[in-house]
Amino acid sequence: MTNGSKPRSGRVEINRIVDVLLPARTRPAFGGALALIAPVALLTVLAATLFGASEQRIAMVFLINLIAVVANGLYSGNSGIMSFGHVGFMGVGAYLSSILTMTPEKKAMTLPNLPDFLAAAHMGLNEACLVTIVVVGLFALVVGAPISRLTGSAASIATLAFLVIVHSILIGSKDFTRGSQTFFGVERLISFPTLLLWVGVAILVARLFREMPVGLELRSAREDELAAGAMGVNIFQRRLAAWVVSAMLMAVAGALLAHFLGAFSPKKFFFVDTFAILAMLIIGGIASVTGAVAGTALVTVVMELARRLEEGPILPALGLPQVFGLTQLALGLGILAVMYSRPGGIFGLAEIDHWLFGRRNDDASNSEATAAPFQPESVAPASGRELQAVDIAKNFAGLRALDGVSLTLRPGEIVGLIGPNGSGKTTMLNAISGAVPPNGGRVMIDGTDVAGQPAYRIARAGVARSFQNIRLFKDMTVLENIEVAVSASGRGGDLRAEALAALAELDVAHLAQRRAGALAYGEQRRVEIARALAMKPRYLMLDEPAAGMNSAETQALMGLLRRMRDRHGLGLLLVEHHLELVMQLCDRIVVLNKGQMIASGTPDEVRRDPVVIEAYIGRSHEKTHHPDATTTERRGS
Amino acid sequence: MEIFVQQCVNALSLGGTYALLALGLAVVFSVLGMINFAHGEILTITGYTVFFSLMLAVPAVLIIPLALIVAMLAAAAMERVAFRPLRGAGPTSLLITSFAVSGILQVLFQNLISARPRPVPIPDFLTGAFTVGPFHIGVIQSLSILATLAMVGLLTLFLKRTLLGMAIRAAAVDFPTTRLMGIRANRVILAAFAISGLLAGVSGLLWIAQRGSVDPLMGFLPVLKAFIAAILGGIGNLTGAVIGGFFLGAIEIGLQAALPEPVQPFRDAIALTLVVVVLLYRPQGLFGAVHSVRP
Repeated sequence: MTNGSKPRSGRVEINRIVDVLLPARTRPAFGGALALIAPVALLTVLAATLFGASEQRIAMVFLINLIAVVANGLYSGNSGIMSFGHVGFMGVGAYLSSILTMTPEKKAMTLPNLPDFLAAAHMGLNEACLVTIVVVGLFALVVGAPISRLTGSAASIATLAFLVIVHSILIGSKDFTRGSQTFFGVERLISFPTLLLWVGVAILVARLFREMPVGLELRSAREDELAAGAMGVNIFQRRLAAWVVSAMLMAVAGALLAHFLGAFSPKKFFFVDTFAILAMLIIGGIASVTGAVAGTALVTVVMELARRLEEGPILPALGLPQVFGLTQLALGLGILAVMYSRPGGIFGLAEIDHWLFGRRNDDASNSEATAAPFQPESVAPASGRELQAVDIAKNFAGLRALDGVSLTLRPGEIVGLIGPNGSGKTTMLNAISGAVPPNGGRVMIDGTDVAGQPAYRIARAGVARSFQNIRLFKDMTVLENIEVAVSASGRGGDLRAEALAALAELDVAHLAQRRAGALAYGEQRRVEIARALAMKPRYLMLDEPAAGMNSAETQALMGLLRRMRDRHGLGLLLVEHHLELVMQLCDRIVVLNKGQMIASGTPDEVRRDPVVIEAYIGRSHEKTHHPDATTTERRGS
Repeated sequence: MEIFVQQCVNALSLGGTYALLALGLAVVFSVLGMINFAHGEILTITGYTVFFSLMLAVPAVLIIPLALIVAMLAAAAMERVAFRPLRGAGPTSLLITSFAVSGILQVLFQNLISARPRPVPIPDFLTGAFTVGPFHIGVIQSLSILATLAMVGLLTLFLKRTLLGMAIRAAAVDFPTTRLMGIRANRVILAAFAISGLLAGVSGLLWIAQRGSVDPLMGFLPVLKAFIAAILGGIGNLTGAVIGGFFLGAIEIGLQAALPEPVQPFRDAIALTLVVVVLLYRPQGLFGAVHSVRP
């Protein structure tokens, strides 16, 4: 597209670029980010024009902290892994950018042993920020590789170790940092416009990240790693992405801080500042950008008051002793107060755009859904196309849960997997889907062995599943739950349209904006099936889909499953205790007992098989007998 | 050879201190799924108890039991006051809460006692060394190895032979079911904290015996190392925590001995990086993390 030569198609092109960069579903978030930036911008203008020198300094510290808190929240909030290490990136950013902006003459004096290319470097603050972003980004990529493999508290502790590593490297690298001595002579290049620019970038990036596929998928892993993997989410990669992006923003905060302070030492980027930044994040709400902004503002005010109380004449005048570390005390108590009253922070999961624009209402979702009927990937049943589990073995510390079980699922057929409780049905599903890697055997998808591969790869290869004890992403909306599946399985086009279509298929489109964890049991089951369908799998494994459904709902479910099979050639593997349903629906049935396959065949053959009657149905031979242990198998959760 | 043996003793003694701290963290983690960030402050409290006991001329034989009792009570009080209100909250909430508790306690120590290190005179017989054949072996080093072995042995007996110990092990596997068996959750959790306090108390005594002073932030570094040891061994895994502690001690002493002088300032960084590299290949730690069903 040459400049202005074709204005009309140019506009179409621009619209398309806007659609790619900012799809309709992220536009409210964009608005929300602007709504957060607006008051900050107003404050900046006021500070620049009306404030006195000391108030201006407070405003600058606030703006720098804002970037740091938003950046830390981008990682900690979306991943659910509290990071104690991000201030380390701030430190690296501060030193690196300072070396870049200092004049070569000054460096010759204070840092005589710098390598030539750094000694000669001399650039402006924004250029230095850009270089710092790139370098710290690469650094974060290397460091993030091991950390992103860890989970939960172990990952948090690893970030703490990272902080200590960076601290001791900063002290050790005397040629670059003057060791634990003060690093001085940095020009105070900071200005309100520069600060506002980077604050705007940070808020925008963080808010959009949350809604973009990468953030959406990362949040699903925060809610439930196992289910996220089963949707095709590459958790490692998503965590690493958040780690790198947040590290880059953190480096900017560090660079700006350096050019605000003019002199600093490695101590500045250690525990005290980590504590303050985390307090801001936790008090406002880890999981939301709005919370990060509000928390930073609130804590800045409290810290300033505490500092004045600590240094000022009020305490002695009241006959009270001077208290050192009053700010840290206030922050600690603030965190405790929030934890006891609102563990998610003041804003919890809420963003300002949820209030400003509302979460899109039911009518809109219904009309969009009817416009785009659900279209699973059609598979023509052809030879060689099948899901084949061969000789699967699984041991749990001495217990042989599966002992050489084989089964085949072809596109267009429904296979039932039944057996008494503890016979290994769910373990079989877990082994096939990669949730629990099998100890032996092969899992062939259309001829390729995927046994032992991570769950997300198997999911992307076309195998979807549901869970016996429903595993929705509870703190996300129903729509987001489905969008994760569309996005992570890598098949979808427009996330929202596809997700709404899948919801409509299960008659739950009206629930789209509800929080998944707040749904009734039957609704949750349906949403979970919709989520699996939204992956457009070729093979779908459902673990007790009819549990807790009444007979009308069960009939509807059967209709749906048949439709999926007939229209789209989906291969269905059904673990179900509801024998009537299994007998009516399935083309073939595989019966497990004590980890071994004891029978397989058509429903009629299985029904007549004496071994099955003996092991499963029992001596009484009651066709409708339900093994009572649906309750015992659903422990945990 | 002589130096090598002495370095091994040093490694075992340092590793033992880490192991005891990591073990305390792991006991609490196995039951509650929480990392107690304020574990280091128990160690500091132990140190101050010794300091004040000496100041008040408490008879020498009473100082050690007193310090250990205070450590246990402090850990139990921490549970009762700060963590019990959050029963049922997720691991992140508990981690954050303990993080705040740690920060608050540090400020309190600074204001109520002193921000500066306070000396703790160590009796001469502790600072000496004895000779076995060609080897000079430090008394404190030997004591800390013995204390570590004794504590690990006692804890094993407690967990295997007593009802409360078995309840703790059961709770580590499946807390709801343990409660259904008639075990009171609060008792189990309190006991886990008391044990972790006792272990922190013992390692605190060993730590100040080597340093000869106490200060408000003294708990931070050893407990940070213990965190690392605990995830290195597999978080929540008791055996793993002990071996992780010894492993980390060995790495640190090994680096101290092996690294050339100019690289020495990076010792901590290198040690931690080595651990992180191990985790890259074994994300669940050397002995596998323990995942359990929790209340």
